Amino acid sequence: METLVNLGFGLSVALTWQNVLYCFIGCFLGTVVGVLPGIGPVATVAMLLPFTFGVGPAPALIMLAGIYYGAQYGGSTTAILVNIPGETSSVVTTLDGYQMARRGRAGPALGIAAIGSFVAGCIATLVIAFFAPPLAEVALKFGPADYFSLMVFGLVAAVVLARGSLIKAIAMTCLGILLGLIGTDVNSGVIRFAFGQAELADGIGFVALAMAFFGIADVVINLERADKQEVFTSRIGSVLPTPEDLRVSFWSIMRGTGLGSLLGILPGGGALLASFAAYMVEKKVAKPPRSFGEGDIRGVAAPESANNAGAQTSFIPMLTLGIPSNPTMALMIGALTIQGIQPGPQVMTERPALFWGLIASMWIGNLMLLVLNLPLVGLWIKLLAVPYRLLFPAIFVFCCIGVYTVDSKVFDVYAIAVLSALAYFMLKLDCEPAPLILGFILGPMMEENLRRTLMIAFGDVTVFVTRPISAAFLIAAAVLLVVIALPALRAKREQAIQE
Amino acid sequence: MRIRSPRDFWAGLIFIAFGVAFIALAQQYRLGDLHRIGPGMFPTLVGALLAGLGLIITTRAFVLEGTPIERIEARPLGVSLLAIVLFGLALQWLGLVAAIAVLVLVGAYAARDVRFVQTLALAALLILFAVAVFVQMLGLPLPLWPTG
Repeated sequence: METLVNLGFGLSVALTWQNVLYCFIGCFLGTVVGVLPGIGPVATVAMLLPFTFGVGPAPALIMLAGIYYGAQYGGSTTAILVNIPGETSSVVTTLDGYQMARRGRAGPALGIAAIGSFVAGCIATLVIAFFAPPLAEVALKFGPADYFSLMVFGLVAAVVLARGSLIKAIAMTCLGILLGLIGTDVNSGVIRFAFGQAELADGIGFVALAMAFFGIADVVINLERADKQEVFTSRIGSVLPTPEDLRVSFWSIMRGTGLGSLLGILPGGGALLASFAAYMVEKKVAKPPRSFGEGDIRGVAAPESANNAGAQTSFIPMLTLGIPSNPTMALMIGALTIQGIQPGPQVMTERPALFWGLIASMWIGNLMLLVLNLPLVGLWIKLLAVPYRLLFPAIFVFCCIGVYTVDSKVFDVYAIAVLSALAYFMLKLDCEPAPLILGFILGPMMEENLRRTLMIAFGDVTVFVTRPISAAFLIAAAVLLVVIALPALRAKREQAIQE
Repeated sequence: MRIRSPRDFWAGLIFIAFGVAFIALAQQYRLGDLHRIGPGMFPTLVGALLAGLGLIITTRAFVLEGTPIERIEARPLGVSLLAIVLFGLALQWLGLVAAIAVLVLVGAYAARDVRFVQTLALAALLILFAVAVFVQMLGLPLPLWPTG
C-alpha cells in the first residue's frame, strides 16, 4: 500500500511538464544514438551526459534513464534490420530478428520487440518499486565491513558473468581498481600516482575512461573491420504483429521479463546477460514447433523483453546500495556525483522526489518509447543509411566535447587520447572492458571501507568473517569462484557465452 | 618454448608491467599497519595481485592454445588519437569552432574512404549543432573563439 502511495508521489514528480520533457528528450536521443550501429548504451550515455548538466538531479537522472532504455530499444532495431547489434545486449536478437527480416517479416519483428520491451519495462518498474525500498532499509544497517565484502562479491559476480577468460577479467578488475586510486587519497590527503601533475590530483576522469573504452577504441576497431552489411529498409510493411504472433509470444515475453528482472539485479548482470539467458531458456522450453535461428518470433520477443527488464532492474543496486552492477550504472553514479549526490541507501529517504520520480518516469519513458518506435520506425531506418565515415567523426566530437564539459579541463581531452590507446590494445588482446570500469568505480570505495573496518576493529582482519552479513557475501563470492573454476561448469559457461 | 596464445602472452605482460609499476610507485607512500592502513598499503596489495595474475596469464600462454592477434593498423588509431589531441590544443587556444573543425577534418582520415566535401559539410553541421545546443541552449562554458 505504501508503495502505491509512493508511486503516486513519484508520478506527480515525473508528470511535471519539465520532467516529461526531459524524459522525452532522453528517450528520443537515446533511440537516435542507439539505432546507429556500433554505439552501445555506455558510449551513448557517456556522450549525452553534457545534455544533463545544468538541470536538477531529478530531471538529469530521468533523462539519463531515458537515454539508457532508449538506446536499448534502438539497438534492437539495428539488430533486426542490419544484423549488427546496436549493442551487445541485442546480439541474440540478430539471430531470429534478422532472419525474420530476410523473410519479409521485419515489421512484426520490430513490433514484437517494442511490445515485449514495453511490457517488460512496465513490470520491471513495479519490481523496482517493491524491492528497492526494503533493500535500501537493509543496506542502511550495513557497516563498512559488510560494504567491503559486498563489493568483493559484486566484482567477483561481474567477473564470472563477463565474457571471455575469467582470469583476464579478474586482472582487468585489479587494473581498474589501481587506475581508480590515482589522485588524492581521501584519508591521508596524499596525492598518489600523479607524477606531480596537478590535473591528476582529482584522479582520472571516469567519463574519459568510459568513453575511451566504449567509444573511441570501439570506433577505431570498427574502422579496421570495414565490412558491408545488407540493410532491409525497403519494405517493412505493417509493424503490428498478427494476433497469432502475439498469442505465440505471450509466454515468451513473460519468461523473458521474469528472467531479465532477476538477472538485472545481479552485479555484472543487466541487459546483456538477461538477453542471452532468455534466448537459451526459450530454446529449451518453448512449445514446438520451434524454428529458432530461422526467424522464430519468440526468439525476438524473449530476449528483447529480458534485456529491457534487466536494464531497468539493474537500477536497484545502484539506487539502494550505491553500487553499480554494470558500466552504464557506473556512469549513472558518476552523473549523480556530478550533481552533488552521494549514491547510497540514504538517497531514498533523503531525496524521495528523485528516487520515486525516477522510478515513475520509467513507466512514462516506456510508453514514450512505444510511441516513438512503432509509428516512427521509418525515420529510424533512415538513420541506418548514414555511412559510418560520417558517423564516427561525430562520435569523436561528442566524446571530446562531453569529456571537456564535465570539469572544463582540456587535460581530460588528452586523457581520453591516452586511455583510448590503452583501451585499443586491451581490446585487441581480448580483455573485457566492463570489469575494468567496475573496478575503477569500486576501487576507492573498497579501500575506504577496508580502512574504516580495520580502524574500528583495531587491525583485526577476522572481522570480515565474524560479521554475519560480511561473511555471507564473502562465502557467496568464494562459492561463485570455486563453482566457475570447476572444469565441467566452466565448459558449460563457455558454451553458454559462445551461444 | 613456443607462445601458443599471443593475446594472453601480451595481456599478461601488460598486467605485470602495471602491477609492478604501481607497487614501485606505492612505496613512496606510508604503508601503515593493519590498524591504521597507510596510503601505500592497498595499492601494493592490489598491484601484487595484478602482477601475480599477469604472471599466470603469461605463463599459461605457453600451454593453452589461442588465436593470433588481429592485425594492428596504424592509421585508424594514429589518426584518431592525433585528431583528439589537436582538438584539445585547438580548444585551449582557438576556441570550440576551430577545435571541432580540426577534429572532424583530421579525424575523418582515420577511415580509408574520405570524401572531402562531405566531411567539410559534416564539420559545419556539427559546429552549428554544438554551438546551438551546447553553448546557446544548455549554456555550457565552452570558449567559442580564440581567447586573447
